[in-house]
Amino acid sequence: MWVIPQLIFLGIDWVSFGIDFLSFYGIYLGISLALNLEFGYAGIPNFGKVLFVAGGAAFAGSISGRLAQYVFAIRGDFIIQNTSIINTIDTKLVNDPVFVAELILVSLVIAASVGALFGFLASYPAIRLREDYLGMLLLGSAQFFQVVMRTYEPLVGGAQNINVPDPYFYWSTLPTGTGAGDRTLVAALVAGLFGLVVFMFAQRLGKSPLGRTLRAIRDNEDAARALGKDDAAMRRNILIIASAISGVAGILITFQIASVEWDYWSRFAWTFWPFLIVIIGGSGNNFGTAVGAFFFTLAYKGLQVLQPHISGLLPFDPNWLQDLAFAAVLILILLLRPDGLIREKPTPTLPRGKLAQLVAAMKAPAPNQTQGSRGSGFFRRLVGKVRPRKEKSEDPGPPPKTNG
Amino acid sequence: MLPAYVVCSPSLNSLCQNLISAEIYGSFFALMAMGLTLTYMTTKVPNFAYGSFVTIGLYTAFQLSSLNSWTPYQASVVAFLVTGAASVLMYVGILRPLANRGTPLVAIMIATFGIDIGFIGVFGIYTDYLQKVYHLFLAKQFFALPGDFSVLGVDGVAVVAPIVLAIITLGIFLLFTKTKFGIAMRASVENPSLAKVLGINTERVYIVSWFLAGGFAGLSGALYTLKFPGGTATGSDLIVEIFASSVLGGLTSIFGAVAGGLAIGGSEDMVTYGLSQGFGFVGVTIVALLTIAIGTFLVRKRTRGRRIGGIIFLALGVYLLIEMATGFTTDLFVAGLVNGYPDITPLQKGIPLIIMVIALLVLPRGLVSLKLRRPKK
Repeated sequence: MWVIPQLIFLGIDWVSFGIDFLSFYGIYLGISLALNLEFGYAGIPNFGKVLFVAGGAAFAGSISGRLAQYVFAIRGDFIIQNTSIINTIDTKLVNDPVFVAELILVSLVIAASVGALFGFLASYPAIRLREDYLGMLLLGSAQFFQVVMRTYEPLVGGAQNINVPDPYFYWSTLPTGTGAGDRTLVAALVAGLFGLVVFMFAQRLGKSPLGRTLRAIRDNEDAARALGKDDAAMRRNILIIASAISGVAGILITFQIASVEWDYWSRFAWTFWPFLIVIIGGSGNNFGTAVGAFFFTLAYKGLQVLQPHISGLLPFDPNWLQDLAFAAVLILILLLRPDGLIREKPTPTLPRGKLAQLVAAMKAPAPNQTQGSRGSGFFRRLVGKVRPRKEKSEDPGPPPKTNG
Repeated sequence: MLPAYVVCSPSLNSLCQNLISAEIYGSFFALMAMGLTLTYMTTKVPNFAYGSFVTIGLYTAFQLSSLNSWTPYQASVVAFLVTGAASVLMYVGILRPLANRGTPLVAIMIATFGIDIGFIGVFGIYTDYLQKVYHLFLAKQFFALPGDFSVLGVDGVAVVAPIVLAIITLGIFLLFTKTKFGIAMRASVENPSLAKVLGINTERVYIVSWFLAGGFAGLSGALYTLKFPGGTATGSDLIVEIFASSVLGGLTSIFGAVAGGLAIGGSEDMVTYGLSQGFGFVGVTIVALLTIAIGTFLVRKRTRGRRIGGIIFLALGVYLLIEMATGFTTDLFVAGLVNGYPDITPLQKGIPLIIMVIALLVLPRGLVSLKLRRPKK
């Protein structure tokens, strides 16, 4: 493959910054959209998000490694001789693209199923408990899962972490100098693709009748129930879907860093940050989440770039400032703009094209009327699309209920 | 709890060590759960940043111990005040403005979560500063602090912690029942708007309860350093136990929280110890009989959840008995119960979680909702 030219400006390598940005953005976009489905649409505050992401990562990472070990018939204990086994697997993977594809597919399926299973288990309390009890329970479970990862060695090696087979190994730079050397780019493209797919899915789901029903349940559970909507089943299903997405995000991160580490999965990075993203962008709103994830990634990666420049000036590690800054941003957003950057809007019940047609049909008979009767002020023309009621009632053509 | 100390004082075997440790844990969790429950009752905020208050207490003790060589006992008073002040600051500065804006509960919960991460940043900066300026290289992760006395070969904290808990519980009881302010507090818990109409300054009540809540966390954090190692994440990791204690207590009663904390702290240590040592043949038979007894008690209940729980308990108990009768080697689970699981100790955090789950399913209103006396007809 090719080698990317370096674009260095202001002392910052913008190409690697962009790659870094994309890989982070794609993953966090996916997780935040999943959280938005649960929290924004269905009204389930999932304070244990890290449980589902880490669950997918841990199980799929652990199983995929063992699977590859079994297929290539490598002897040895997977946990104890982990490094050498994974090295052998990686070198064999380079010559076997079919198996790489199979391994990725199987891992994705495992991660999605583990996430979905956890989501199903979590749905039992989620549809029964009040949000504060639920929050405590999920947070506690996530914390406990981290303890399991740290102490139960057969899963991910306990305190000493395990490596997993690296499906992007073909593109990485080998110590011998061979290899294409743009592993990070490929990983970033995969992450971006994942974010895009999840975004399209979430957008479709949000516009579908299911999405509208979920909002109705969130806003008034009793009314929705009275209209015959099965709120428990819908909440359960959305939790399963969102958790499966989170699990897939988990295994993608694992492939990116090619290892599973218990202390990587803190509740701050994988529960709080997605919440922060959803709150910044505006909950119940996929575009908002995308925008929020963009600004969050910009702030996070930007601070990372700035860090070496200011670390000498301070008597402490500037990483801590980042935590403080994110906490402050959250509080400020909640205080000053609780709806987020982009407010939740009612979704149109028809596709955009059809609505535009309807509006055009409505407007067509009276183009000269607006120009004639409303005068020709500049501002009037700017807001000219809004027509007073009286004129509308004189119109014989358009149906009275629709408005542009 | 004190009898454990009396029994243990002549000879310290490992069971006694565990009993004492369970007693200390129980007292601390009871104090912490009391604080969490207090703020939950008054302002209806489940405070996810509560663990960080404990960490503030830990570090107050650490700093005063390593820089001014105070004992943690002396430092605990300062820790009470400092943490109480931090707690009030958090309420007045962030949570009250949010609540006044009509922010929904979930958003306030997220805000407390955010404050927790803010605290993590503060602790990071603070410990970096201690390391660089005062050259305290253990600041990130320190061992138990010196300064404890010993009574008949037992650590002083084993005596002091339950006594402190008893005094505070008694104080809260007297405050709630004998003083005007305490009655005003209860009134503003029961019905804030009516209390306001009667001229009670509910804001003052809320501020006092946040101060006490923070203070209890700081106090127990400072005393915690006498026996256990600490670090920047210690309080944050304890949040599971604190929540479990409060939920077991029902989140609506201070005294329930005390009972919940003692139960969680005690069972976490004792169950782990029991599982790692094994209960022996007689022990497991007793456990099986107890399980069957709980099962029969629950099966007769009307609620579906309790009934299902009862059936599960019954089945488990009967299974245990059958396994015991046939020689308990066919099932690793039962064999472990008899002879002990070797690797159970790291998983002890699971016990409060399991208790919390069971409490939420079976006793959603907590220990205080248990009616021990039969209602009179």
